[in-house]
Formats: sequence, structure tokens, C-alpha cells
Amino acid sequence: MSIRSRSKGWSSVAVISWRGLTQRYLFILLMLAAAGLIVMGRVRPTTIDNARIHAIDTIAPVLDALTRPVTALGHVASNVTSYVNLRSENEQLRTTNTRLRDWQTQVVALERENTELRRLLNFKAEPGLAYISARVIADTGGAFTRGLIVTAGKLDGVREGMAAMTGNGLVGRVVEAGDWSSRVLLITDLNSRIPVTITGSNDRAILAGDNSSTPDLLYMPQDAAPTPNAAVVTSGHGGVFPPNLPVGQVVAGHNKGEYKIIPAADIGRIDYVRLIDFNLRGGAFNPVATKIDAETRAPSH
Amino acid sequence: MLTPAWQRFDNGARMVLPFVTTLMLCLLSSIRWPIPFLGTVAPPLALMAIYYWTVHRPDLFGSGGAFFIGLLHDVINNLPLGLSALLFVAAHQIILRQRRFFSGHSFFMLWVGFILTVTITMIIEEILLGVINWHGVPFRPVLMQIILAIVLFPLPCWLLIRLQRAALPQN
Repeated sequence: MSIRSRSKGWSSVAVISWRGLTQRYLFILLMLAAAGLIVMGRVRPTTIDNARIHAIDTIAPVLDALTRPVTALGHVASNVTSYVNLRSENEQLRTTNTRLRDWQTQVVALERENTELRRLLNFKAEPGLAYISARVIADTGGAFTRGLIVTAGKLDGVREGMAAMTGNGLVGRVVEAGDWSSRVLLITDLNSRIPVTITGSNDRAILAGDNSSTPDLLYMPQDAAPTPNAAVVTSGHGGVFPPNLPVGQVVAGHNKGEYKIIPAADIGRIDYVRLIDFNLRGGAFNPVATKIDAETRAPSH
Repeated sequence: MLTPAWQRFDNGARMVLPFVTTLMLCLLSSIRWPIPFLGTVAPPLALMAIYYWTVHRPDLFGSGGAFFIGLLHDVINNLPLGLSALLFVAAHQIILRQRRFFSGHSFFMLWVGFILTVTITMIIEEILLGVINWHGVPFRPVLMQIILAIVLFPLPCWLLIRLQRAALPQN
């Protein structure tokens, strides 16, 4: 089908196909729609965020299905490496085991002493922490943002603001929680700001992500000179995280007076995270110890 | 002999192949790979597929496809919704107008076309993201991502060529 149009001064007849016409206008229309969405994201962020959460919930099962064989392949490779390193690993484990047994003896003695002292003070213990184990199904962001999508959502008890940790330390916090999946903003993301304390000197600072693997320590006291490898923990200010969660170790930056941290958690290799509710801002989540293993729940919906 | 219904299904599946492969590559570039820090410099596989299909089968991959893939990319990667959609549609339109220059010549020319596409798209994305968020984005990871995308381009491209030859032999 075609439209024939004649214009004054033109000797030939312009023939424009419908297909070309729609393609041309569709292109402009889509560019305008995309620009409109960007503007709407700034003007009405809640609407866009809700749409994004629903979209992630829809995509999560597909991402989960794609991740499983890749993870299984990774485990096979990891197992092969483990067999190769079996002897040295065994030796290392023996040493660690001996050290842990010594610590265990001390811990039992301290626990007994602690219980006794609490009894004397009539101390009321805080309720246990609620934590949810979730599997990482997407490592998102590319060069621009740093985040994870995990297989646990509101139906598992996840809510925004929960801390995401591995066994080694803080990884980030939940910024979006859908029904089945959630998004974790890593401590290395450009938009992450966490109040921290440097152990030893007790200097306070703000841990600011810069999209690199080593976030910056900002707003430290002028006379602060943290020792290299000093442990950095959350300060508890701001009410997002409780104090003393391990975050990382101090390293000197490229410039004089610039300090960074090496995260305690191996952020490049996170397969599972533990989402912990410290119940700092109240809310619907039950603070009594609950453990939901989101891995056991199939994400199909 | 194929029944008419099966033949229609077969033809339909072939027609959506460019879109489906682009969708799959978009998802694959976001999943968790057991390679440390790959996520931070993961090559934009979706852009590779958009480039390839726009050059070779623009009749089967239009602006609507590029827009949808862009939205999906934004949703997964927590980018401002519409940013990648805008860039992918613009890239699709520019590639479409220059496709005769990149197709029909050697693979080297196809590669050069992709180098220009990925470099310009990523740099504009960096600038736009800086403007939208009102703070600069470190350029080093972007540069790493561009280099990795350029180096790895022949691999997905080879797979797409094989797929095209197998499923869409006629142009």
C-alpha cells in the first residue's frame, strides 16, 4: 500500500511506502517515550520503582533458571580445583581447627561468665535476629551501578533497608523488595553511603562507593591516620545498620590522605547472601528469630 | 511433509529468532557467572545482538524490539528507566542508515562498525547517566567494558552468523 503525493514545483511523484512511514514515526515515538520515562523516573520515582519491582519479579524465574546451570558448572570447576588442592587445604584446615578449638574453650568460659554477670544485673536479653538466606541470580549494573538480584522477596519476609551480609561481612542493603525477588545495593555502588568507625583509632567516616572494588573513606577527622589493615565496622549512626558489623580493612589510596577499604566480603564471588533484619526502624517484620531458606522455595509464580 | 499449522509455527519461530536471541543475550549478560568481577565489566551482549541483527536482518528486528530490550536492560541493571531504551533505539536507527556500509564487506568492517557503535553508545550513556544522577560516573570501568566488548565481539557474532545461516538462510 502506498501514498502518492504531488507537490508544486516537483516534476516527479514521490512514493512513500507505508512501512517506511510507520518505521520513521515509530522511531520518533519510541525516542519520545524513552525520554518521557526518564523524566517520569525523576518526577514520580515511586511509580517507576513499583513498575520496576513488578518487572523484576516477572523476570526473576527466568534469571533463576538461567543461573542454575551456570552455577552448577561453576561448582564442577570449583570441585576440580578442590581435588587438586586437597592436600594443602587439608593441612590448612587442621591448623585452623586447632586454633578454633582454643577459641572455643575461651568462648565457653566467656559465655559462662557473661551469663553469670547478666543474671547478677537482671539483664533482659534482646530478641534474636531474623535472617533470610537468598541466592544471587543476577549480578547487575555493568560499569554504571553495583547491585545484585536475589531470590527472596516480601513473601519471604524481606523488606527494604535490610542488611545483606555474607559470613565475612557486610555486602550492602535491600533497596527494592518485590514479592519473589529483591535488589541489593552493594557497598561499592556509587550511591552507597554508610557511616563507619575505624577500629583502634575509633575515627568515624562515611564509606562511599565509587563503583570500584575498593570504596572510599570520606569525611574523616583531619588528624585521622588510620593504620593499614585496621578493621572498619559500621558505626550505627543513621539508624540503617547496627554498630560493629564488619565491613572491611583500611588500605591507603593513590593520593596522600586518601583511604579506601577492601571489603571483608568477597564481593566479586557472592553466590548467597543473608538478609538480616535488625529491626532498627520498626515495621511488620517479626523480630523473633526466624530463618527462611529462600533457596528451598521454587520461584515459580 | 510439514502440515500447514506446523509450517506457520516454524515460520513464526524463525521470524522472532532475532528478537529472542537478543533477549537471551540481554539476560545472559546480567546473570551471575562464576567469574569474579565479571558483572562489573560484563560486555553489553544485547547491544552486540542489536547491532548484528540491524545490519543483517533489519526486516526482522525493528525499533520496537530495540526499545523493549532497552527497557529490560534498564530494569535489570537498575539504570534510569528509558535510558538504554533511548540509546538502543537511537543506535538501531543510526546502524540502519549505515548498514550497507557495514554489511556485505569483510568481517573486519562489521567489527569496525561495532567498535564505533559500542564506543559511542557507552560514552553517551556515561554522559547521560551523569546528567540524570547529577554526579559523574567513573570512566575506567566503562573503558574496560568497551575494550572487553570489542575483544569478545567475534564470539557472539560467530554464534549469530551460524544461527542466521541455519535458521534464516534467505535475506
